[in-house]
Amino acid sequence: MELASTAEPEAPPSAHIADGVSRPLDPRYVALERLIGWIATAVLAAAALGGLGVFLVVARPGWSAAILVSGLMAAGLVLFGWWQQAWPALEYRYASYRVDGNGLEIRRGVYFRAVTNVPRSRVQHTDVAQGPLQRRSGLATLIVHTAGNESAVVELPGLTHDVALAIRDHLLPGRSDDAV
Amino acid sequence: MPSDRRLHPLSILFNIGRQFGAIALPLVLIVVGRGTDEDRWNVYALVFLVPYTAIAVGRYLSFRYRYEENDLVIRRGFFFRNQRHIPYSRIQNIDAVQNVVHRLAGVVDVRIQTGGGNEPEATLSVLTLADLDEMRRRVFGTRAATAADTGTPEAAPADTAEELLHLNARELVVYGLVENRGLIVVGAALGLAWELAPSKLVEQYMGDQASRGLVHSLARLVGAEAGPSWSALGMGVLALLVFLLMTRVFSVIWALIRLHGFRLTQQGDDLRAEYGLLTRVAATIPRRRIQTITIRESVWHRVCGRAAVRVATAGGKGEERERVVEQREWLAPILRRERVPELLDRLLPRVDLRAIEWKPVHPRAFRRALVRRLIGGVWIVLLALVLFGVKAAWGIPVIALWAAVRAHLYVQHLGWAITGDVVAFREGVFGRRTTVAPLVRIQVVELAESPFDRRTSMARVRVDTAGGGHGVDVPYLPRHEADALYATLAASASRTAFEW
Repeated sequence: MELASTAEPEAPPSAHIADGVSRPLDPRYVALERLIGWIATAVLAAAALGGLGVFLVVARPGWSAAILVSGLMAAGLVLFGWWQQAWPALEYRYASYRVDGNGLEIRRGVYFRAVTNVPRSRVQHTDVAQGPLQRRSGLATLIVHTAGNESAVVELPGLTHDVALAIRDHLLPGRSDDAV
Repeated sequence: MPSDRRLHPLSILFNIGRQFGAIALPLVLIVVGRGTDEDRWNVYALVFLVPYTAIAVGRYLSFRYRYEENDLVIRRGFFFRNQRHIPYSRIQNIDAVQNVVHRLAGVVDVRIQTGGGNEPEATLSVLTLADLDEMRRRVFGTRAATAADTGTPEAAPADTAEELLHLNARELVVYGLVENRGLIVVGAALGLAWELAPSKLVEQYMGDQASRGLVHSLARLVGAEAGPSWSALGMGVLALLVFLLMTRVFSVIWALIRLHGFRLTQQGDDLRAEYGLLTRVAATIPRRRIQTITIRESVWHRVCGRAAVRVATAGGKGEERERVVEQREWLAPILRRERVPELLDRLLPRVDLRAIEWKPVHPRAFRRALVRRLIGGVWIVLLALVLFGVKAAWGIPVIALWAAVRAHLYVQHLGWAITGDVVAFREGVFGRRTTVAPLVRIQVVELAESPFDRRTSMARVRVDTAGGGHGVDVPYLPRHEADALYATLAASASRTAFEW
């Protein structure tokens, strides 16, 4: 999958990133989020198992109660795991970004949707952050800092690392093509 | 190619010191708690020191910075990597902190500040003095060239001060009555009593008399099968009235002292507010630093025909060492409503508040506002039913009607406008607020859609500025109008350069 997506011609070269075209996130973002979801599910399962063990030993419930409690726990876990696997695809479907001469526009949210516009002239400084799992799949999060109050930090996760760097370079002031 | 640099190797020691400082006290407590066993102390110290040392060394090794043509670049993190670009042109301050140990070692703790956020954008701990010099040269060296062609606006001639507003005792009394800061006074008095009085005494009064007594009598009042006696109820109401009256009186006294001799003057491009009897305050508000202006009219303001005007300012460049990111300042704690446009005219000469054509929100916004308030009412009704039984059912139509009235007034008053380089927004039911934000001050524009918005094809447009407080956040817009407003605001923000 990694090879396939890097070989695709649509991967934007850094020069043309600011073309005002709305782009989806890197598809590998879904896989990454699902992986994180599995980890979260595993942690929760371990905790639940531990809790169940303590409950069975300490409270010594009857057969019916024990089966009921473990059944509920299992159902909750399955639901959580399913949600963790289903959600990233939804998130991916409704997320996109657009860069043009004016700045950066981010579209996010499945049920509660928001379009956020950061004018280029308002960018104070930028971060490109990569966690260990992101690095493994060549992804990065672009973080734009503005002088704003509630939107002082605008994050765009799920970018290909090169794309994040290209957008970063475009947004920073003082470049040769800087019209402001 | 610009080369990567590291911090001074002593950073490791300083880092350990700082990390260790945070846990030093708990550590001591543990050791003391377990007795003064020599070996144990060593074990604990080791247990705590090892991870901290590892972290400090890791930080030192992973932290790099370099000077690029336009930006200062800082890379850090080992597992979670971060690469930060800070444009030289955005850096406002390079603060150097040197405590005794730093001075002995000949190093400094460097903090770089730009306009965003509350914390320093970068902390370089620690650098040598030579490194600091170089940083200043590189960052501010390029600055000199760019600052020269824009020209310094500070050269404005020093006009004589012109008085815009003066509050006499009568206005201050009105202010005290309207704002009701009495609870602050009561709270402060209680706090003082708590501090000064012997703790036993306070405990006796507060703990026994007040809390237990109050809770008990309340419980008796509510839970009594025979119902509360009328005399007790009357006493309670009377006590409440006296308390409310007293807080208003306190509030007036507080206002007379705190805002004594309030004067707002304009001198050139600066506004200056002076007030205070005991603590004399003289606040200078440069006009170019005003982010938003908010006019507040509470119910009592409207009864008295008054309003309050506040501005949110931001930033601080050059001479000021202390940076204040967000600050709300009084322009007029209280003034007659008809004088508001006149004052606003001083700040934004191209905006006439009286001539603004407020645009309404979606025609069906009332239904949404009503549902929202009804949901709030459901809880009250449920609580009443639980407490008082079926008798409380008569409250349902009252609460529904009340919700409808409030929703109607809210939607009626809701409005927005773009006029003369500003975006304006007003809202409120009985108390009202109007906020005006110059388009130049817009930082981020957001269009938000909840599932309820989508069902009724509405949306919300939010504007973020560097100032805090009441902002422009317009709900219940028709979808196409929201799109247009969003596009207009985003475009006009990107066309202008933001200046502090």
